[in-house]
Amino acid sequence: MAIFKNCDGTTRRDFLRAGVFGTTGLTLASYSQLAAASHVNPNAKGKAAIFVNLNGGPSHMDTFDLKPDAPSEYRGEFNPIQTCLSGVAISEHLPKLAACMDKFTLLRGVSHSVAAHELGTKYVNTGNRPLPSLEFPGYGAVITKERPGHEELPSFVAIPNSSQRPGYLGVKYAPMNTTSTPVVGQAYRVRGITMAGGLTVEDLERRRGLLTQIDRTFSDVEKDSQLLDGMDEFGRQAHTVISSTKAREAFDISKESPEFSKAFGATPLGASCLLALRLVESGVRFVTVSNGGWDTHNDNWTALKTRQLPPLDEALSALFTGLAARGLLDSTVVYVTGEFGRTPKINSTRNGRDHYPRNMFMLLGGGGVRGGQVLGESDETASMPKHEGYSPDDVAASFYHAMGIDHTYEYHTSTGRPVMIVRDGRVIPQLFS
Amino acid sequence: MQFHKSFAPLATLFTTLLAAVTTPLPADEPAAPVTASAAQRFAAADVAEVPDFQKHIVPLLGKLGCNGRACHGSFQGRGGFRLSLFGYDFATDHDELYGRVDTETAAQSLILQKGLMEIQHEGGQRLKPGSWEHHLMLRWVQAGAPPRVPDPPALLKLEVTPAEILFTATGQQQPLTAIAVWSNGVREDVTALCRFQTNDDQIADITQHGLVTAAEPGDTHVVAFYDSAVVPVPVIRPVTPQYGDQYPQVAAPTKIDELVVQKLRKIGVVQSETCTDAEFLRRASLDVTGTLPTPAEIREFLADQSPDKRARKIDQLLERPGYVAWWTTKICDITGNSDDKLNNVTPVQAEASKQWYEWVEKRVRENMPWDRIVEGIVMANSRNPGETYQQYCENVSKLYHKDGPGASGYAERQGLAHFWARQNFQTSEDRVIAFAYTFLGTRIQCAQCHKHPFDQWTQDDFKQFEGFFKATVGRQNARPDAKADYEKMLAELSGTEGLKGNDLRRVLAEQLAKGATVPLGEVYTTKVQARAAARNRPAPAAQRRGNGPAPTTAKILAGPVVDLTAFEDARQPLMDWLRSPENPLFAKAFVNRVWASYFNVGIVQPADDLNLANPPVNAPLLDYLAKGFIEHQFDMKWLHREILNSRTYQLSWIPNSTNRQDERNFSRAVPRRLPAEIAWDIMMQASLSTEKNSEFVTALDKRALSIPGSGLRQRNRNPADYALTVFGRSIRESNCDCDRSDEPSLLQTIFVQNDGQVLSMLDAQDGWLAETCKQNGLQFTRKSSDDAAAAQQARARTQLKTRFKEQLKKLEDQLAAAEEKQSARQIESLKTQIRKLRDQAIARGVIEADPQQDSQPADATAAPAATAPAQLNTDTIITDAWLRTLSRLPTDAELQTARTWISESKDPVEGIRGVLWALLNTREFIVNH
Repeated sequence: MAIFKNCDGTTRRDFLRAGVFGTTGLTLASYSQLAAASHVNPNAKGKAAIFVNLNGGPSHMDTFDLKPDAPSEYRGEFNPIQTCLSGVAISEHLPKLAACMDKFTLLRGVSHSVAAHELGTKYVNTGNRPLPSLEFPGYGAVITKERPGHEELPSFVAIPNSSQRPGYLGVKYAPMNTTSTPVVGQAYRVRGITMAGGLTVEDLERRRGLLTQIDRTFSDVEKDSQLLDGMDEFGRQAHTVISSTKAREAFDISKESPEFSKAFGATPLGASCLLALRLVESGVRFVTVSNGGWDTHNDNWTALKTRQLPPLDEALSALFTGLAARGLLDSTVVYVTGEFGRTPKINSTRNGRDHYPRNMFMLLGGGGVRGGQVLGESDETASMPKHEGYSPDDVAASFYHAMGIDHTYEYHTSTGRPVMIVRDGRVIPQLFS
Repeated sequence: MQFHKSFAPLATLFTTLLAAVTTPLPADEPAAPVTASAAQRFAAADVAEVPDFQKHIVPLLGKLGCNGRACHGSFQGRGGFRLSLFGYDFATDHDELYGRVDTETAAQSLILQKGLMEIQHEGGQRLKPGSWEHHLMLRWVQAGAPPRVPDPPALLKLEVTPAEILFTATGQQQPLTAIAVWSNGVREDVTALCRFQTNDDQIADITQHGLVTAAEPGDTHVVAFYDSAVVPVPVIRPVTPQYGDQYPQVAAPTKIDELVVQKLRKIGVVQSETCTDAEFLRRASLDVTGTLPTPAEIREFLADQSPDKRARKIDQLLERPGYVAWWTTKICDITGNSDDKLNNVTPVQAEASKQWYEWVEKRVRENMPWDRIVEGIVMANSRNPGETYQQYCENVSKLYHKDGPGASGYAERQGLAHFWARQNFQTSEDRVIAFAYTFLGTRIQCAQCHKHPFDQWTQDDFKQFEGFFKATVGRQNARPDAKADYEKMLAELSGTEGLKGNDLRRVLAEQLAKGATVPLGEVYTTKVQARAAARNRPAPAAQRRGNGPAPTTAKILAGPVVDLTAFEDARQPLMDWLRSPENPLFAKAFVNRVWASYFNVGIVQPADDLNLANPPVNAPLLDYLAKGFIEHQFDMKWLHREILNSRTYQLSWIPNSTNRQDERNFSRAVPRRLPAEIAWDIMMQASLSTEKNSEFVTALDKRALSIPGSGLRQRNRNPADYALTVFGRSIRESNCDCDRSDEPSLLQTIFVQNDGQVLSMLDAQDGWLAETCKQNGLQFTRKSSDDAAAAQQARARTQLKTRFKEQLKKLEDQLAAAEEKQSARQIESLKTQIRKLRDQAIARGVIEADPQQDSQPADATAAPAATAPAQLNTDTIITDAWLRTLSRLPTDAELQTARTWISESKDPVEGIRGVLWALLNTREFIVNH
């Protein structure tokens, strides 16, 4: 497969030239250097990103888009409170976020039409409406492809796992899933990174010594094989990641001062956000945090005020202020979203709200995104955007823009099909003005 | 041939038509004189000839780049002007152009002014004033810009000469000539109107005039495109002076070897030596059965002196359960068995993917011919022939009953209806794409929206092919004529009133658990009715739903139009075409995939991309295997045997001076990373005790190789989930063999080096390390730690452990209660929960290995400590470690290295553990070679 043939009739040399006779000498390492191409702006303010996925679809009307004057079958029981932005009110159960709204932009009237969890989640995690014939890569996969992170750390970490799959970009860009959620104040064991079973760095060094002595069968041919050479390179890098104190320190949230940690709250979401911050600080490029429980078909208000909103309020406000305090907010984009909003009209039989993609909210802050503003607006019952509204594709395009990646850049899938990173989005200029 | 009786005339028709498409005109027919090139005919401005829209104008627009994707071929058009991408939508293209011509004062036409850049044109100057292209366009406009002629002749063939180019030095050049042969006898030199492309510009470059220039040694193709024709021309430049007559005498014991060497002779490459017996055994065991040979098997094989031992081993391997599981998995890959896409297809979650797996498994196990397996898929309906809806529901409900046969009972059903019920196989467009991918190894999706840029397929071909798929429907309830039965059955079941969707399915699942018969969804096919007769009746539901009315005709790809009303099932002629010996793709698609699984790359590569512009690297080889496969009635094991017994399969990976750079012409074995399931399985196998290790050869319990579906739901259930994702198990999502990945990645390496799952495999209670310690009188201790951080970790771990133990206790109590009540479903569910909890515990490092045994340390069963390493039979242990991982004996140097390492370790247990760890982390372990 020397050449991939693309739908547009052009040709592209695939980097893993599985052997014609041509000698390109293109190795994995030099390939990653090539990645710094014209569609990437290395001077963009966003250097890293944290994506917080609120799984289940948080109710926009009870969080960031309240309609106190709406009829009772819509309104809901929560009251608005004023935020630090004049004239902007959000839910009374988000007081800490209300106080730090200068750190991010609230997008209202984001709208799409996919009301199923899985597809909606794919949509907001890729910026592309899902297609049956193609799996789009998640944000993290694209970003780590274009802007690989620190070499002693994995580039893309998911706490505890993520809906962002590498899609047509291939498994190289898959996230490292921590598979568990850290606990504030406790040493955190993460698969692959933490020395398990009492192994020490010295043990590992010794074993590595043995390995390099016996892994020699292919030494005469490895330079001719992308696979063998690549595995050798990954082997070295894996050893670096595992044995470096940098990685272990970054993952160990118990190393954080109690005062700093406390603000995040002693909840899984709080600890996850704290970990995300530490990882970004150490040089991880992209971190996703997944938080569930937002699918409030039943007893919406009880669930929100007792279980969902207090941890969210603490964790997100601590994340924004914590990043700012460490001087990281200017270079770290924070992107918060669920897969959809919830029905403005209350489901009275279950006292809940159901899936509703036509109108939802998203938060975007840091990395050059101008904070302290509300963009977009919904109608009187929060049922539709009042004006044109934004699509998830627009927000995705803007997110990539903040990270210095041209969202109109075209990849070629392995079937040769040309696909833009975000196919239908437009950068929202007000985010950066 | 097993044609439907009434089908014989159609079969003959295929033969003639396909022959017409694929073979040149008979040589004895006097060829018409060749019309000179348009470049000559239109060189002068005052030419009388009127250019033809299809033959000249559209190809020229393609050549000039006007209808490319970046220009007017874009779906939005450019500057308000839109052409069909890559041409072939003649009516639309003509309409668009006609609005931009001025037939009175031709030179004032927008298309000329823009093309000549007389006025601003974003696309720049495409036409040089006074060029033949300019004259041709001008002349067409002057003549009134005529459209495509009515009832146009068909392009029979594009004759490109020379048929093969042999270069010997850099910079050598060879022009191509292309002659279009039309069905009305016209032969025209269209070289100037062709588009050209090279498949590798490092080996040969080609200009837009068709001039080929040699670059580096090697072999590739240059391709000519004109109208719907796509013609590849091989370009070869030998890599050594040993080619042709200078080629050495080499062994070529089988037909495959002969054909491979025939190609290698041209490029001056000599095959490597035959691999060693140990390499052969490991390679074939992994390739055929996804399983390592046991140490005992290796010793036995190496000791065997008989000359036919490899052939006998191949026969043995093909009879093992691993072969069945691996090829069932591969067929599930290409047919798309994914839990994510089968949601709600059965009342009980995840049963559909298991049933799918079982259905395929039975047929692979019985070595049912490939065309008959495919017939069961292509012609599938939910009901067996003659079954009423009631009987169907009774028979299938039994599969869910606790005393029933389970998912394997589905294997007895005639058709794999789930293939048609999956969510990504519902519209006729999706069906055409998936069908072409699965059974023809062809990517036809480009033609859904425009002319396929690398193949002959036009949008029209695609649309007309859809007709075969429109009369089949998957519903979550009964066929319309059984609606009353469905409702009656539903009414008889308590608790279903007024329920729909998930709520209904939940109750149905409960009813099934109680042994009831429940109404089920079904896939069914309606006979396509002749239009006139059907006019006064409402169209059958199948034809109303989503897919639009089923047309009365459909067109075979590169074949005839078929009257669908003549068949009970519109899919019958499709199936007959698939298995007909004249089908150009069906046998090749399967043969090529099997080849690719043994050689890292297909004869056509990518293996699922059979298209004209991507020709086989060795066409006679592919033809031979496809023909043999057909002649042997699609016997899959014939194909496997034929390949495995060739010398070419049994070559060493060690290159010689001629083939170091060759990974494409089968001159040596190419090391390749093992597929995800196999990688996981053999890490387990290698680290387990002798007894458990050998069980891998005979049984498939808990193997990743026998996981039925793919998808998130599946993943969350299986402890191997993370590893399989990281190693790239097929996601079965997008009609592409690339849904499975064999690329290496950092996370894979981190996983093998330091993941808790792998480390606890080493220390497993039933592991080789524990066994070895016991046999050698060593006290088996798990890896422990002494630093302060570990102490803190240990405290945290203790807390978590307590929590897990509480949870576990609770579940086990519930399980005991359920067992008392004999509630099968509850037992199953609780067992799953317990397993999950344990997996979680292992993943979080709270417990290692088997938590059941956690309370009784392994050393309790071990013999008392024997501390004198001198008594240790270190060499035997090391040799055993090598055999169970790399399937060979260690070299003397390796033996010495490992011996020293063990002796320098803190204790021998840690030493042996380290050796096993290092072996699992070698590339030699994780690649097949």
